[in-house]
Amino acid sequence: MRMLDRKLVRELWRLRAQVFSIALLVAAGVATLVLGVATYQSLFETREAYYDRSRFADVFAQASRAPEHALGAIERIPGVAMAESRIVDRAILDLEDMIEPGSAQLVSVPDHGEPLLNTLYMRAGALPDPTQPDQVVVNEGFARVHGLDLGDSFGAILNGQRRDLRIVGIALSPEFIYSLAPGALMPDDRRFAIVWMSRRALAAAFDLEGAFSSVTARLLPGALEADVIDRIDDILASYGGLGAHGRDGQQSNVFLDAELQQLQGSSAVLPPIFLFIAAFLVNLTLSRLIALEREQIGLMKALGYSSLAVAWHYLKFVLAIGAIGVIIGFGAGSWLGRELANLYSQYFHFPYLIFRVDTSVYLLAATATMAAASLGAAKAVWGVVRLSPSVAMQPAAPPRYRRGFATGLASRFSQATVMIIRNIVRWPLRAVFTMLGMALAVSVLVASMFAYDAIDHMIDLTYYKAERQDASIVLNLPRPEGALFDIERLPGIMAAEPVRAIPVELANGHLTRRVAIDGRHRDATLSQLVDEDGRWVPLPETGLVLSDWLARTLELQVGDLARMQTLDGRAITAEIPVTAIVRSYVGSAVYMDLGELNRIMGDGPLIGGANIRLDPTLENELFARIKQSPAIVGVSLQSLAREALRETMDENILLMTGVFAILASIIAFGVIYNSARIQLSERGRELASLRVLGFTKAEVSWILLAELALLTLLALPVGWLIGFGLAAAMAIGFETELFRIPLIVERSTYAMASLIVLAAALGSALIVRRRVGRLDLIEVLKTRE
Amino acid sequence: MGAIFRIEGITKVYRTGDVEVHALRGVDLKIEAGEFLVLLGPSGSGKSTLVNIVGALDAPTEGRIYFGDDELTGRNDAALTRFRRNHVGFVFQFYNLVPSLTARENVALVTEIAPNPMEPGEALELAGLDVSRHDHFPAQLSGGEQQRVAIARAIAKRPEVLLCDEPTGALDSKTGVRVLEALDTVNSELGTTTLVITHNVSIGGMAHRVIQFGDGRVTDIRTNAKRIRPSEISW
Repeated sequence: MRMLDRKLVRELWRLRAQVFSIALLVAAGVATLVLGVATYQSLFETREAYYDRSRFADVFAQASRAPEHALGAIERIPGVAMAESRIVDRAILDLEDMIEPGSAQLVSVPDHGEPLLNTLYMRAGALPDPTQPDQVVVNEGFARVHGLDLGDSFGAILNGQRRDLRIVGIALSPEFIYSLAPGALMPDDRRFAIVWMSRRALAAAFDLEGAFSSVTARLLPGALEADVIDRIDDILASYGGLGAHGRDGQQSNVFLDAELQQLQGSSAVLPPIFLFIAAFLVNLTLSRLIALEREQIGLMKALGYSSLAVAWHYLKFVLAIGAIGVIIGFGAGSWLGRELANLYSQYFHFPYLIFRVDTSVYLLAATATMAAASLGAAKAVWGVVRLSPSVAMQPAAPPRYRRGFATGLASRFSQATVMIIRNIVRWPLRAVFTMLGMALAVSVLVASMFAYDAIDHMIDLTYYKAERQDASIVLNLPRPEGALFDIERLPGIMAAEPVRAIPVELANGHLTRRVAIDGRHRDATLSQLVDEDGRWVPLPETGLVLSDWLARTLELQVGDLARMQTLDGRAITAEIPVTAIVRSYVGSAVYMDLGELNRIMGDGPLIGGANIRLDPTLENELFARIKQSPAIVGVSLQSLAREALRETMDENILLMTGVFAILASIIAFGVIYNSARIQLSERGRELASLRVLGFTKAEVSWILLAELALLTLLALPVGWLIGFGLAAAMAIGFETELFRIPLIVERSTYAMASLIVLAAALGSALIVRRRVGRLDLIEVLKTRE
Repeated sequence: MGAIFRIEGITKVYRTGDVEVHALRGVDLKIEAGEFLVLLGPSGSGKSTLVNIVGALDAPTEGRIYFGDDELTGRNDAALTRFRRNHVGFVFQFYNLVPSLTARENVALVTEIAPNPMEPGEALELAGLDVSRHDHFPAQLSGGEQQRVAIARAIAKRPEVLLCDEPTGALDSKTGVRVLEALDTVNSELGTTTLVITHNVSIGGMAHRVIQFGDGRVTDIRTNAKRIRPSEISW
């Protein structure tokens, strides 16, 4: 090994604590990027593979009752590779471990063989035997939540008839990766099941022999989806078709899309910032570390090493540190990425996980940190090799201090304090960069932790200010307003407000969105419209109220006309003015006065359900009654919905940001520890001289650490500010059709971020303080300067 | 033998902070090959500056300097580096060893890049470092031993000229004499032109010529009729 390389290895070992902490900084930046991208990419790839292997359909359509020959017509549509008809309907579930009624989506499977499309991934058991009409397959999530296994039975009301269904299989389906009950915002495996039954059994139960109520189709590559959808709509129009849609209208897919998008958001915003910050800090730290090598650089030049050889030597030094960090980062990032992806794939009910990361991510992470490290080294080495060796080998000339504003202070403060202030004023740029480094540490913490505040606010606004009902009741079909009195007479109902939701396609020019118009009375108080601060906003007498997200998506403003077409089989169209836009964090809500909505629908004063306030003591009685009432197909409890939202948020955002917060803490410690260590190296001789002059260890430590403390305190507010900016970027990254994260950063988050950084500072200070105690006083007297 | 260095009208002005220091105010000097020169003078008289310029560690503000027939002034950094690498050995007051390399490795640091070096062990022996100490780190060596490593490092490349800035300045008399003996050996056995800067007037006795500096100028040049041996020196 060449002598310089030997020197390199030994220097790395001598500075191991610092080398390790800088490498850790690099590792944190690299790991964040790798794990963020790895998690997202793996889940994305897994979904693609799962969709492909299970032949997930491209187009979905429902009808009231379509004769089987309509399927032939659909199969003949150009662009359709294969189509499959089936029966899809709903049932009320009567489960022993639940007092309130649950609901189920019933889906038929062919009597012979497996489904052509949307094949089931059987976790256990087998498909139902068509000769045994009560055999069913249920989705795994539902079975798990209720502890149901093969051979178990549960009660269900199918088309008004109570049946006992026996589980013969437990499965996953690409169609129901997320199973959302109709009208629900969040998946809920407890209340909502997917139940697969044989086609024969379902046809008998719903009088659909020789007919189907649902069709799915897979398209040929290059087929125009919109054309196929139009043709299917034409075919099904006379059979009560509800409007075909692509995957972008398939609930589970939309939800999964949103989840992946949020994951991408969290991995697209923070990790590059982390990497940038880590690179910046590494640059800063290494350039100062190498500036300390001034005399060695001078010596090597004096011995006849060329500037290039010296530069290469130090470049190798920083590259080695960078490489250690990159390797740790790759390892930790890949491992964490795999663990996270695994966790997410369980949340998403994927049957398996395909772990995949683009090599380009590794390349990007490595290049960025190595470049930053090299630049830092180059800057410092260049500064020294430019000097003639005779000058470089001398200690740097005493810096020119100025009697600036510190002069006035001098009379009031101790000499030690004046030293601190002059030192900052003398190297303002260095002070600013050190401060900025710590501020960035604060800011990444703020940005990682703000999501907790935002989600609290989101839940508070959604469930305590806007949707304040205890539960919502959904009727099996629109009923005259008088049905409200029937609901009010149910046990435990303290208040009921009628609602009616109409599925529509809302359009502005070429922009369209499938949503449900939520009709309600203007004086409704249980579920009400609120602004950003939770203040009540009245529902206008006429026109549509859009959520801000939907208004933005459709590029609609107050006063614009929105075109709507109902998706209830009647295809009623109307142009309705937008009369207000409200803030909403969940879903893409559209509101309208119920009377106005009924007028447009032209079918008299109907209601589709009610928001209710419950007397909790009579809950059980109410649920028992609802279970027996065929007119009610669903009850959703707000408390459960709230929990479900909280859980989803925990899974989507908090898990990832939690990991980021830990990495941010590592960065915070790395910055401060290195600042303190380098400060000590740079001023070791000066401080030891002070000790020789009779300063106590405490006094000397004060000179060293007070400067850092001052810079840390200055860094806090700057970090809050940058952190708020990063949080804003993340809030935008998290935005999806399903949820928006409000940009709310509580004081407690700023405080927590500050505390973590202060703790890191304190820890570093203690380590450095110990080193001050070990300063070699004799060495100072013996050597020059 | 002819002149190995010709120094003509060298001046050097340093700027340190706000201060302008005239380190050399016009020096003319011829140095013969194989000569042992001792440079005497008070601090700030310009000895070190001249030696730094001779060793191409620094460039003069004005004047010319020739190594043999080659002019050193005005050359670029790469050429000066090559000159140092091939022709000059340095010994510093504070040894300037690389702390992370052993004695042998410190010498090897130079032999690796020199065109015709001796073995590191050979150089260390010539400089008088006990074989048992060759694989010790600087921190494990006494000051005298460290200085002998520095001398070994300087001579291992078989330089034409050896420049020593206060080589005994940090050493006691007994250790210092052993370092001077090492320098004398190198000068007589290898014929290396040697320039030694010192405050110690008695060291002048072992030189061929003693150059006296004062206020940036050469104030006196004395040729010793009879050279004394290092062992006869003490302080």
